[in-house]
Amino acid sequence: MAQRTAAKKIERTKSGPPDALWRKIGGTYLLTNDSGHYAWLGEKDFRLVMAGGLTERHPLFSELASKGFVRNRLDFNDIAAKWKKKNAYLDQGPGLHILVMTLRCNHKCLYCQSSASGVGDKKTDMDLGTARKSVDFAFNSPNSGITIEFQGGEPLLNWEVLKGAVKYARERAQSTGKELRLALVSNFSLMTEEKADFLLKNEVSLCTSLDGPAALHDKNRLTPGGRSHSDTVKWIKYFQKRSGKQVPEYRVFKPSALLTVSKYSLPRHKEIIDEYVRLGLEDVFVRPLAPIGYARRLWDTIGYDAGEFAGFYLKSLDYMLKLNRRGVFIREKMAAMMLDKIINFKDPGYLDARCPCGAAIGQLAYNYNGDLYTCDEGRMVGWEGDDLFRIGNVFKDSYKKVMTSQATKGCVVASNLEAQPACARCAYKPYCGVCPVYNYEVQGSLWGNIPANDRCGLFKGVFDTLFTLLKSPANAEILKKWVTK
Amino acid sequence: MGDKMKNSLSEKKLVLDNRIYSPEAVKLAAFVFSGRTGIKIKYGKSASQALIEDQASGNASGEFMNEVLNQQCRIDLAKKSSKIAGIIVTKALLSAAGEKR
Repeated sequence: MAQRTAAKKIERTKSGPPDALWRKIGGTYLLTNDSGHYAWLGEKDFRLVMAGGLTERHPLFSELASKGFVRNRLDFNDIAAKWKKKNAYLDQGPGLHILVMTLRCNHKCLYCQSSASGVGDKKTDMDLGTARKSVDFAFNSPNSGITIEFQGGEPLLNWEVLKGAVKYARERAQSTGKELRLALVSNFSLMTEEKADFLLKNEVSLCTSLDGPAALHDKNRLTPGGRSHSDTVKWIKYFQKRSGKQVPEYRVFKPSALLTVSKYSLPRHKEIIDEYVRLGLEDVFVRPLAPIGYARRLWDTIGYDAGEFAGFYLKSLDYMLKLNRRGVFIREKMAAMMLDKIINFKDPGYLDARCPCGAAIGQLAYNYNGDLYTCDEGRMVGWEGDDLFRIGNVFKDSYKKVMTSQATKGCVVASNLEAQPACARCAYKPYCGVCPVYNYEVQGSLWGNIPANDRCGLFKGVFDTLFTLLKSPANAEILKKWVTK
Repeated sequence: MGDKMKNSLSEKKLVLDNRIYSPEAVKLAAFVFSGRTGIKIKYGKSASQALIEDQASGNASGEFMNEVLNQQCRIDLAKKSSKIAGIIVTKALLSAAGEKR
């Protein structure tokens, strides 16, 4: 009887081991859980918590209890609400539809396959019938918001079809009542006032590539005249000016730019960020290059390992924080998207880091001939001659058939972190995602072998950096502003 | 790891104890490696045998062992997490296909 009373007392005061994931960073332990909460613990407290010995009198009890780390104090409504918010994409279907207007390009970028198709070779242009059929296909998605992104090659090389697709997509949005966002990814070298006017009037957001200052940008992005940087900058300034003078008839979006980090970028983080600041751009997306498709062949020349990228990323982030402290608003896009999950429990729409990944169920890539791929990376593998990620054709296959194709299912199953041994117990599982295309290209299977996977090392480096920065109240204040803007 | 290796000039023989590595894990790993190097597999009562061509550069047999371990961990994890994993996959696929849940 006395023994039973003692046992009941222990039950009341001790919590039992939490359902938590953890990682040791430096001398402290980061605890996370599926709803996305996190907490830091010192060695002694960590051992106590993991042994289930935390009592109500412990100073950390209320914090850990409110975050769902105390087993007998779980607020299931809160946990479920946060999980649902962070994983809202599971209910939505593909929102991003990438239309490859042409494989032609007037650039020969070091890391891109598009240069493989010459400027004069129009057989890789999408025709208007295919563009319209692709738009129709996109509107089959159950997602209430559809983003159509026009890219290439250089999409402006196929201007008339692009124009037709924009007009048709607007018509379809009106007839279906769906929210439509249009985006163009272009090197801007073929932009004219007339084209710019059409795009702005149709509320097409504009994104270009900017790899840094002229010398670096033009080294990565080769053109016959070596004018890539000056053309890009000219039009960024033009669109900045136009967005500064809003008109009542339509919204003028600020232009944005994408940075591709090659080996040549690694020692030049300051110059790259300064260039973005100089042009009034508020986001720098420090994107790692992936050894997929064409870039895989050149990996020894332009590639780097996870450690090298992590070093570059940390220096870039550090410099951006310094600039923010001086009153310059500049943020790193990947950090902002990850912080949206960590701080706001929100799905930022980052298709590369979700569970399952966005392949097919979050995005579709439409090749110039109407062939459908799980994503643009999958299309690049196709361009190299391996059509594993081809999931159909807009003329031949129904939407339902595409969504239930073997490749779609394979990508969804393989990128489910609950079924990936290393990911299932990783502290970053609530915020991370794997890429079946990367796994296939680098390690020979959709599943990959995550402990030996460089992409995993790269993401771990990013998360280690972000969580460590969040420990400092001064840094945390800046980082929180990045996701409350 | 409970396995023994015997060297020959360019081929390595791996003996994989069935109590640790199921024949299914060995088969899956061999499939992953099928485009990379030559592999012959023989299943036995207490162990599987894999005969691997080690190329001059690289360490195919070591990498193959890592892959067998990876596949075995996947199989073991599936026994514990298949329910939640199945719910997530089903929800994602049905939503994307526009099916009512």
